[in-house]
Amino acid sequence: MRMDTVIMGGGLSGLTCGIALAKRGQRVAIVASGQSTLLFNGGSMELLGSIDGKAVTAPLEAIATLPQNHPYRKIGDDRIAALADEAKQLLADAGINMEGNAAANHWRITPIGVAKPAWLTLSDHLRIDDLEKLPAKRLALMAIRGYLDHPNSMLAQGLRDLGFDVDVIEFTTDEISSLRRSPTEMRATSLAKRLISDHALQRIADQINELAGDADMALLPSVLGQNNEETVKTLQSMVKVPLRLVATLPPSVAGSRMQASLRHYFMMLGGTYLMGDTAVSGEMEGDKLLKVSTAKLADMPLRADNFVMATGSFISRGLKADYRRVYEPVLDLDVDADSDREQWTQFGVLDQQAYMSYGVATDERLRCLKNGKPVTNLHAIGSILSGHDAIKAGDGTGVSLLTALAVAKDILANK
Amino acid sequence: MQICNLSENNFEQCTKCSICTTVCPVAAVTTDYPGPKQAGPDGERYRLKDPAYYDKMLKLCLNCKRCEVACPSGVHIADIIQKARMQASAGHRAKLRDTVLANTDLVGTMANLVAPIANFTVGLKPTKLVMDSVMAIDKHRTFPAYSRQKFTTWYKRNAAKQQDAFANHVSYFHGCYVNFNFPKLGQDLVKLMNAVGYGVHLLDKEQCCGVALIANGLYKQAKRQAKTNAASIRKSVDIDHRTVLTTSSSCTFNLRDEYPAVLDVDTTDVRDNIMLATRFIYRLVDEREIKLVFKQDYKRRMAYHTACHMQRMGWQLYSIELLRMIPGLDLQLLEQDCCGISGTYGFKKENYENSQAIGSILFKHIADAQVEAVTTDCETCKWQIEMSTGLPVENPISVLADALDVEATRAANGLK
Amino acid sequence: MVTDEIYKKEYDVIIVGGGATGAGTARDCAMRGLSVLLVERNDYSTGATGRNHGLMHSGARYAVTDSESATECISENMILRRIARHCVEETDGLFITLPEDDLQYQRTFVDACQRAGIRADIIDPDEARRIEPSVNPELIGAVRIPDASIDPFRLTMANLLDARIHGAETLNYHEVEGVIVNQGRVEGVKLFSKLDGRHVEVRGHVVVNACGIWGQRIAQLAGVKLNLFPARGALLIFGHRVNKMVINRCRKPANADILVPDDTVCVIGTTSDRIPIETVDDMRVTREEVDVLLHEGVKLAPSLATTRVIRAYAGVRPLVASDDDPSGRSISRGIVCLDHAKRDGLEGFITITGGKMMTYRLMGEITTNAVCAKLGNNEPCRTAELPLPGSEPDAPKQGDLTKRYSFGERAAIGRHGSLAARIEKDNDIDNALVCECEGVTVGEIKFAVHQLHVHNLVNLRRRTRVGMGTCQGKLCSCRAASLLGELNHDVKRAQEDLAAFLDERWKGMRPVAWGDTLREAQLTAAIYEGLCGLDTAVNMEGKEDVQ
Repeated sequence: MRMDTVIMGGGLSGLTCGIALAKRGQRVAIVASGQSTLLFNGGSMELLGSIDGKAVTAPLEAIATLPQNHPYRKIGDDRIAALADEAKQLLADAGINMEGNAAANHWRITPIGVAKPAWLTLSDHLRIDDLEKLPAKRLALMAIRGYLDHPNSMLAQGLRDLGFDVDVIEFTTDEISSLRRSPTEMRATSLAKRLISDHALQRIADQINELAGDADMALLPSVLGQNNEETVKTLQSMVKVPLRLVATLPPSVAGSRMQASLRHYFMMLGGTYLMGDTAVSGEMEGDKLLKVSTAKLADMPLRADNFVMATGSFISRGLKADYRRVYEPVLDLDVDADSDREQWTQFGVLDQQAYMSYGVATDERLRCLKNGKPVTNLHAIGSILSGHDAIKAGDGTGVSLLTALAVAKDILANK
Repeated sequence: MQICNLSENNFEQCTKCSICTTVCPVAAVTTDYPGPKQAGPDGERYRLKDPAYYDKMLKLCLNCKRCEVACPSGVHIADIIQKARMQASAGHRAKLRDTVLANTDLVGTMANLVAPIANFTVGLKPTKLVMDSVMAIDKHRTFPAYSRQKFTTWYKRNAAKQQDAFANHVSYFHGCYVNFNFPKLGQDLVKLMNAVGYGVHLLDKEQCCGVALIANGLYKQAKRQAKTNAASIRKSVDIDHRTVLTTSSSCTFNLRDEYPAVLDVDTTDVRDNIMLATRFIYRLVDEREIKLVFKQDYKRRMAYHTACHMQRMGWQLYSIELLRMIPGLDLQLLEQDCCGISGTYGFKKENYENSQAIGSILFKHIADAQVEAVTTDCETCKWQIEMSTGLPVENPISVLADALDVEATRAANGLK
Repeated sequence: MVTDEIYKKEYDVIIVGGGATGAGTARDCAMRGLSVLLVERNDYSTGATGRNHGLMHSGARYAVTDSESATECISENMILRRIARHCVEETDGLFITLPEDDLQYQRTFVDACQRAGIRADIIDPDEARRIEPSVNPELIGAVRIPDASIDPFRLTMANLLDARIHGAETLNYHEVEGVIVNQGRVEGVKLFSKLDGRHVEVRGHVVVNACGIWGQRIAQLAGVKLNLFPARGALLIFGHRVNKMVINRCRKPANADILVPDDTVCVIGTTSDRIPIETVDDMRVTREEVDVLLHEGVKLAPSLATTRVIRAYAGVRPLVASDDDPSGRSISRGIVCLDHAKRDGLEGFITITGGKMMTYRLMGEITTNAVCAKLGNNEPCRTAELPLPGSEPDAPKQGDLTKRYSFGERAAIGRHGSLAARIEKDNDIDNALVCECEGVTVGEIKFAVHQLHVHNLVNLRRRTRVGMGTCQGKLCSCRAASLLGELNHDVKRAQEDLAAFLDERWKGMRPVAWGDTLREAQLTAAIYEGLCGLDTAVNMEGKEDVQ
């Protein structure tokens, strides 16, 4: 099968790149090895959240101070702002409406009540622009009875520490209680499947209207709207006070919706999305990659002019580590990683862990290196890139979006 | 000794991320089912500690494999569940109902002999009520009608003689559905393959692939039939050098993957030579070995539904790409939702409600798509969608055969 | 919770150390009618008690080299099968001879077992492969012996529970910072409470030093010199049960020659190294130890080479130094009970050390006998006859659990025996699973918090197995932290507790962080740092490791 571009990896970066290329008329196939890490996302994108443990307020300015091997620096400081705008627009085109801007971070509220810097946050999620000027004084935190993936007491404590008055109000509805009959399956995404009909939403609204009293704002765990934004809007229209969602522990409804929206948009643009398939090997000719074999297409490999590695970090098995070494499993590309296992990790769980910034080595155009030389038609994007610790720096989603767009441009420009 | 210490215990590759639980169609509609994570890798650790930890609610698993498709860690969740069911069932006798449902070929053979009566009888209200109360087959279900003439009979009388004349050859694993209920699909395949210069042959001995036997816990019988089929396929591939084509995604998946994974009947040596006809044809077109020419006046709007096992095999793109070659076909792609039937699952009285609830999302998408027909590679999806939406459902092979300009195609492929 | 009442009382005996030995001694003393206070500086069973194989020796391992230990083991082994049924799994064990081993040793071994009264049946290698499919198929000889697996956390907790039922007081997170000595007589201890930062004095007629390797320090505080020999052993935990039976090597004890099936996992160990006494609190497992364990472990069961390692840990055996053997292996594991009145002229002070986790009851009996002698108490010891709480004769057996119980209930009965009846399970919320790997329900957590002395998540883990599955606390740690905060009315500390718990889990994962365990760690970080921002909320620096 012949494509213009084959993207290995169907998460945020792979889909973004695929959309950007398909929009320009390319025939694109994405090989997606299962669902992506978007399902652990809390409904926000981060451009740059922290440098040396200090919160970043103006990410665009701060990016210029990052080390040269950071993927943003490879893209070029002067291009970041425009790419960030483009990313926001692309998300909106896919039906994912987010608020925020790249010049100044806002704060998102995490499931355990911590305020973290963010670039974009879904419009229906709680967002604080300025910690000195809270968007409400008194919050009614609507706690779903028996739901364990929303640590209400910790969240309430965190919100109080930020200066809110918080009433924790436990509630349930028939739809919700019936799910708790399962000892395991009361998860955010399972709730979202049961809370779709207007009838189910009205029952929640009734509870909020009755119990939230004179709060300035009601907060609800993000267990609504797996398919679209309308569900949340409908509920908001039924509730008398402003209503915002707060992220839960995974699997995330917001992340699931973002993943589905992007995939849907990609397929609408004519893209081919091979769900549950994995790239297993490739065939090179000189400095070019000719074709990639997948587990399921087996002896019918995918050929293309360009290839993109978007297979993610260790979690997604884009990188692997055994007892002896860190490696890239599909093409055995060069990796930036310590060879001595002792160096991979540190003793404290919250310490900066070296393995977090391991990834495939790339040149200035984000083309992958093999045996020290660039593979001329193979780029890497997203979490598989080395040179940054996405979790400590709070730049994982930003790197995914921006490198995806930059690489798409590179591919289109060098056709 | 050089030790990499990477786990080869597939269930240990689970990182407990819980993504599988987001796609399970059964857990979405009933709290009785513990969900794929708990039923699969979590439960497996406990079952290894003590088999008494087996949870009988595992029988609610559809074996649709959506959990496996979603799993970012490559865990064969549904296989783990099927194996656990199989181990737990050792020594238990299957219910009469399950035996009847599972033996699609035996019951089919009997029904064919008396097709009009059988069709009439299973459609009668009192019969349905007996089936409902005694056999626990849900009364809402309509059994697929039995054909008066088996596909194999038709083939021997009308097609067998001509096949040797072609330059290229394939074998056809037709499956129970084509043989007993819907010979037209088999005829369509013969028409299509003949038009591009391929002779179609039956296997020496074909038995039901056993997908329903596995689902109903009749493992011994499934294994026996699997061995027979494996031998026939091996002869076709190794001696006759004929690839074995299929037109049912479930049979295909079963022959290729469930035989070794669940039944311990190793078919890995011939696995690459068992494939869905759409894949085989797509490849020939892609490699410019053959050409397809379609009717100028063909005009239809259809929706493609990806059957669960099709998605698990990752082959829907071949059917889709082929269908897209038909100029007059306006093809809508449906979101990948389960129809809820999963073989014989939805026929059982205790599953009827779950089955329809699972399918409801898909039925809504179909209604929204505003199409005149649906196309899918699975026969049980066909029954379910036809019953639940009232729209006709066709296999992509039938759609292709229908749209094909046979004479022009023959000419384009150099046949007289 | 801690009340001033406990501090004010004067006790017949104060036991220092909340491991199996201290708990067993407390139970015995309390059952003989003494008033008892047990104090532990961290959580119960944090020392050597919780850092071994979880092996209930038949004694066979010591039969050739140390017949006294072997005899003690088999006798205690049979007693524990009766009194601690819910902590024991009767797996039996094999001593296998590999081609590289001397088959002659098997005869010596079996003879020694018979002398010690340990059943030892030589079986055909084929039979060994049949009854234990994971065993190295190249074995040339096998002996079947009555080894079993035992859960030290449960065992210790059951002893403490029974001690309390008989009137004892127990305090964890109370560190002894001084021993009150008056005119050649110990009269009590000075305590520092890690829970509220208070310093208090508690009086008692006899103080028992049952602190394992840390007993040297307590003795120092009392002004007597003790020379303990710290021998460190590291172990690896694998993600699931590879073996059904305990597998040993039939040769002189050496590195990594025992593989034990424990609950849902299996454990290979140990290494053995002499370490300086100053380093006994450093439990970090080195790369070399991991290498040795893996390479030797696969000789017992080859499938370990392709089984996921989920943790590594180390413990320190408290042996009384008697010679200069650097391996520490030829030293007797024998029980040493020192009456310091006779040894050092210090009245009211007894040290119990040496021994093994599984001879804790006997050590308790010996110690209690010594205490009773001082106090003029003539009650007989009954700890060998009466079952521990949870192991009463009516407790449900594992085998009976097939139909009637949910997964969570079955798992809980496996852990708590008849005590599981106290777990609330009448509503959907109590039946919800907090830890999905190990089947820990909300009800079980409530039970543990209310009845088993839980101050933090690590305590909770030891009581329930929450967070002990392959994911090492992926979702359950946050669920449990929130729940615990609510139940203990202490939400402010919940974030810190969560971070401390994850840190404790990581300490065991780090030495084996490759493959799926590294993926697991990255995902946990993505959730707790990336999604939740725990790292920005909690400052771990300078935090004492109070587990």
